[in-house]
This record gives sequence, C-alpha cells and structure tokens, in this order.
Amino acid sequence: MNSLIKSYGKGLTSIFLGLTAIWIVVLIVLPQLSMIDRAFTFEDRGGAAATLAVEIDRAYEQVFQINIRLDELQAEKDDLIAGTSSAGQQEGASSLNPFAAPVPAPSGGASDLNPFGTPSAPQANDRSDLNPFGAPSVGSANTVSRTLAEIEAEEAPLLADKGDLEERIATLEAEEQATSDTVGVDKSYSLKNFTMMSSVHLQVFLATIGYALCVTILAFALCYPVAYAVATTTSRNKVAILMLGLLIPYAINELLRIFSWIMILEKQGILNGFLDLLGIINMEAGEGFRFVASNGAVFTVMVYAYVLFMVFPIYNTIDTLDKNQIEAAKDLGASTWRIHWRVVLPHAKPGIAVGAIMTFMLSAGSIAVPSTVGRGLHPDWFSQVIYRRFFEADNWNQGAAYSLALLVACIIFIMFNMWVFRVGIRDIAK
Amino acid sequence: MTATLANHTETAQSKSPIDWAAAILNGYLLIFFAYMFLPMIFMVIAAFNASPTPSVIDWQGFTLEWFRALPQDQRFIDGLMHSLIIALGVIVISIPLGLAGALLLTRLKSQATTFLYTVLVSPMLTPGIVLGATTLIFWRDAFGVEGGLLTATIAQSSFIASYCMLMFMARLQRQDIVQEEAALDLGASSFLVFRRITLPFLMPTILTAAAIALLQSIENYNTTFFAIGPSWTLVTEIGSRMRFGISPVINVIGVLFVAITIIAATVYVMASRRKGRG
Repeated sequence: MNSLIKSYGKGLTSIFLGLTAIWIVVLIVLPQLSMIDRAFTFEDRGGAAATLAVEIDRAYEQVFQINIRLDELQAEKDDLIAGTSSAGQQEGASSLNPFAAPVPAPSGGASDLNPFGTPSAPQANDRSDLNPFGAPSVGSANTVSRTLAEIEAEEAPLLADKGDLEERIATLEAEEQATSDTVGVDKSYSLKNFTMMSSVHLQVFLATIGYALCVTILAFALCYPVAYAVATTTSRNKVAILMLGLLIPYAINELLRIFSWIMILEKQGILNGFLDLLGIINMEAGEGFRFVASNGAVFTVMVYAYVLFMVFPIYNTIDTLDKNQIEAAKDLGASTWRIHWRVVLPHAKPGIAVGAIMTFMLSAGSIAVPSTVGRGLHPDWFSQVIYRRFFEADNWNQGAAYSLALLVACIIFIMFNMWVFRVGIRDIAK
Repeated sequence: MTATLANHTETAQSKSPIDWAAAILNGYLLIFFAYMFLPMIFMVIAAFNASPTPSVIDWQGFTLEWFRALPQDQRFIDGLMHSLIIALGVIVISIPLGLAGALLLTRLKSQATTFLYTVLVSPMLTPGIVLGATTLIFWRDAFGVEGGLLTATIAQSSFIASYCMLMFMARLQRQDIVQEEAALDLGASSFLVFRRITLPFLMPTILTAAAIALLQSIENYNTTFFAIGPSWTLVTEIGSRMRFGISPVINVIGVLFVAITIIAATVYVMASRRKGRG
C-alpha cells in the first residue's frame, strides 16, 4: 500500500482503490451473492401462501356468485312488487353455502413436491358445488311463485354470507401482504431448489458435463499437434501464415462459425449434397439425413466452435520451450513419443490447463450451440434448462440454483486441473 | 556457441532422408486448416448464391441480392446499433476498472494480491450464462432494473474488464519504474507523474484493450443472450434467426465479418512481426 501511495499519491491511489472496490463489489461479488441467495431461497408455490392466494380467488368468486343470486332475487322481488309472478326461477341456493366444501388446509410435504397438484383438485370440487346452475333442482321449478317474505328470508343469509366473505377477503389479503410481497409465493431458505431437481434435469446436467469433458479431450487431441507444429516451425514467414490461419477462424464470431456448420448439416445442406453426389442418397427423392437437432450435431459443432481456445494457450507454452531440449533428446536417442511425454508435455502443462479450463467452461456453459443447432428438438443442454427456468417457467430461484450448480462444476474442474497440472491461478489467467 | 548449435541441428535435420514425423505433421496441419476454413468458405460462397436457402451445391446463379436485402432489414440495423451502444459502454466501464485493478496488483506488495487477483480474474473463468444470469438477478432484485441494454453492458463489462486488466498488467510489468521515481524526486506531483509518464506509457495498451473490448462485446452471445431481456443485439438477432432456419442474409453478415476479421488479423500479425524484429 505504501509503495502505491508513494508512486501515485493519496488522491489517485484512492481513486484506483475505489474503482477496484466498485468492480469487485458491484460487478462480481454482489451479483454472485444474489444468485446464491436466490438459489437457496425456496419459493413455495404450493405451500401456505399459494393456498392463501387460491383461497382469496375463491372467496372473490363466491362473492361474485352471491351477487348474481342476489340480483336474481331482487328481480324476483321487483316482479312480485310489480304484481307479476315469475316462474321457473332456479334455486340452488342450498348448494351455495360458501363454506360447505372445506377449504384445503395449508398443505404439507406432498404439495411441496407437486406444487399445483393439491390446490387445484379441491378447487375443482368446490366450483361444482358452488355453481348455482350446475344442478338445477327439479323441485324448485315447481315453485310457481313465492311471497316477498320467502324471498327476503333467502336473501338475508346470503347478505350475511357476503358480509362474512368480504371480511374474510380483507383479512386474507392482509395476511398475504404480510407473508410476502410477491403474490402467492412463500419464501424460505432451504436446499429444495437443488434437491427438487428432477431426474430429467439431473441427467441433462450430467450429460452436459460429460459432453463438455469429451469436447475438451477431443479438442486437446486435435490441437496439441497443431500447437506443437506452429511452435517448432523455424521459418518466420511460415509462422506468420500459420498464426494468421489460426487467428482468422478464432476471431470470427462464434455464431457465424456455428452457422457455417448448420449449413453443412442441414437436411438440404452440404453434407447431404455431397452424399448425393457420391450416389449414396438421392436428394431429389427427398432422401437425406437430418444431421441437425441431435446431440451428435451439437457435439460436432461445439468441437469446431471451441477447439481454437485450446490451441493458443498450448502454443504459448511450447513456444517458450528451448527447442535445443528437443534436439538433445533426439540426439540421445529418445523416441518421438518419449520426447513429447518427457520434454514437451511437461513444459506445456500450464497451457494445457488453461486450454482445458477455457474449452470446458465454454462448452459446458454454451447456449449458442445447443439453441441454434439443436432447434429445441434434441435432448436439452443444461444451459437451455437454466434458460427455461428463468424465462419460461419464470422460476428464477431454481434457475439460480441450476446456474450455481454449473458454476460449481466449473470450479471443481478448474481446481482439478490446477491440481493435476500443478499450476497456480496466476499461470491460468495470463 | 549458439550459432554452431543451430548449425548442428540444421545439418542433423537435412541428413535424415525423409522426415516421416514432419511429413505426417504437415499433412495433419493441412487437414486441420481445411477443417477450420472449409465451412467459412462455404458460408462466403453461399452469400452470392441466388438460392433462397444458403447452399453451395445447389447453385442458382450469382447474385448480390442478399447484400441489398441486409440494409433493409431494420432489426439487423437496430441490433447493430444496440451492439455498438453496448460496446461503447463496455469500453467506458472496463478500461478504467481494468487499469485500476492492474495498477493495484502490480504495485501492491502484499499477501492479499493473489486473492485479489483470483477475484478479479474469476469472471473470465465463469461460464457466460452464469455472468448474465447473476447480473440480471442482482440488478432486478436490488434496483428493479429489468433485462436490457444496461444489464447486458454491465454483464459484459464484468469479464471484459478482467481481460483489459491482464493486458495492462503485462504492459506494466515491463515498465521501468525509475522514470517515475526520478520525476517524483525532481518534485513532480504524483498526479503529474501519472498523467505524463504512466498514462503515455500505457496509451498503446489502452487503445489495444479498447479494440479487444469492442470486439469481445460485439461478438458476445452467451452472456448477452441472458442479460439482454426483450431487446436484442446484432449477434442475438442472428441467433434467433438461426433457430427458425437459415437465410442467406446471415451469410452476408458472415462475409462482412470474415472480411473485417481477415483485415484485422493481418494487420495484427504484421504489427507483431515488426515488433518482434525491432
């Protein structure tokens, strides 16, 4: 700290410190913390608060029904007063008792697992009970006319019920306001966002990690010879051309690289066209393989899209190797395999670690490849599951939990690489 | 000594009749570059094909129709504008942050630097969608800001600032601190020293970092896709078009990107070669 103040003075040093602090707090730590907070906050959509919301809805509906009935009775009364008797009025008031059907109690464990199962079923029952037109009683049709007193006798309990209901709505709404600001959601800290991960999602998660590992290994196998060749090339011009050849596809937009492969794999695409030229299939007759929208296609395109993230780090490390070491090993009679195993690979370790981490992170977290190549038809990639949790299921907390799971998988992979290749964080991010 | 050694290796190589290992390696390089470039070449060729589905096999005649169609596509034009707005914001945010972080890390002599370093580079090692998601969550929960250009800018800045920081650190490690010390000894204020010595020394890196930040920002898909909300950038628009099938207009964008990239990469390689010689 003193050396810093010595060279830049107090004013500038505090500006630097302030900027770095803002960066760490606002751009890195707080967003991560809010994700972790959400990941461990379980929104109980089937629990007490949700039942509360359903209850309030139902009470409103009952008030609405009573109002209809009251209007009818009022009309009947008006008719009586006007001296004309109305006939054929339906009754059904007996089934109108709002509390005849028990309101489902705040449900326990079962409803937590199936958020929408429990509340909806009794609700449906209630509705049929409530519906005044659901079962028109035959008896009431015979009541040709009633006296004003009879109608008022029916009206009185209804009005009382209505009053009760309105009171109840008020208390329920106050209760709801108190429990949470988000309507119908009860929040509590728990691991449920993780433990509730369905087996399908878990499989997708594991498959994604597995595929990402395969992409990483394949990328290493493809890239190591290239990196070695470029790093050991002695001619300056050749190195420049090779570097250009690597930089251009590396710098071209990820999506366009993917796009070029979709053109190839499309049903009317280049690969099928090539097979057609070879006479293997007949495209005129509508033959052809639909290569896109399969996990294989996602995998192929992913290797193509991220392979170059492996080349440059390995190249950078092999480039610093004193090439005389390779010559010395050769002169001493080491086989090619042995030279690589004992001389080049150990030196390239940090580069391999960086390349592996970048490739794994990019492919495990890629949403560009699966969403464009997959067209939603192939089994999901985990990034797509996360996206759907956020923007389709509107369950941000579970989305946050899934994101956290992905992040943890990446961190584990990074630590594993640091351990295997014995490199520090400073070697990794250079 | 080194000259004779180099001479020796030279003769050792030429002595062997056929270097099979080298031949195989060269063959492999050829295949690898074909693998890298053929899809791009297909993409470029198909941009000039009159066929409404991008193809190189079903050739329906040369056309520039798709080049004319692109400027009329308002969503692409708007997307490009959004991309540029975001990129500008990213540069404005990440350059000062990266610079501040780099200055702290290179001058701070403390045990805490490794930890600080880990925190500051962590966004680079975080999957893009996680960065997008965390930014979206934080800004909505804390300030009620919904996904849009602002959250996309912030999400991108969080990791692009790390790239900038690493570039500045590489430059600062080569700085001769004696100049600064001499200026201070001669009575210059620390602000003057920073403005007249450190900043000019870093200027080339600031420009490079701004260029890299611009490219990274425009190209970014994964983070932006999550943080952009209902808005769109050029790249997310390409992505959403691709999900519903492909059109030659995207090939045209591809041609433009390829052209820009080839020019930029050539300039970069030329520049670094000249530097290497000098």
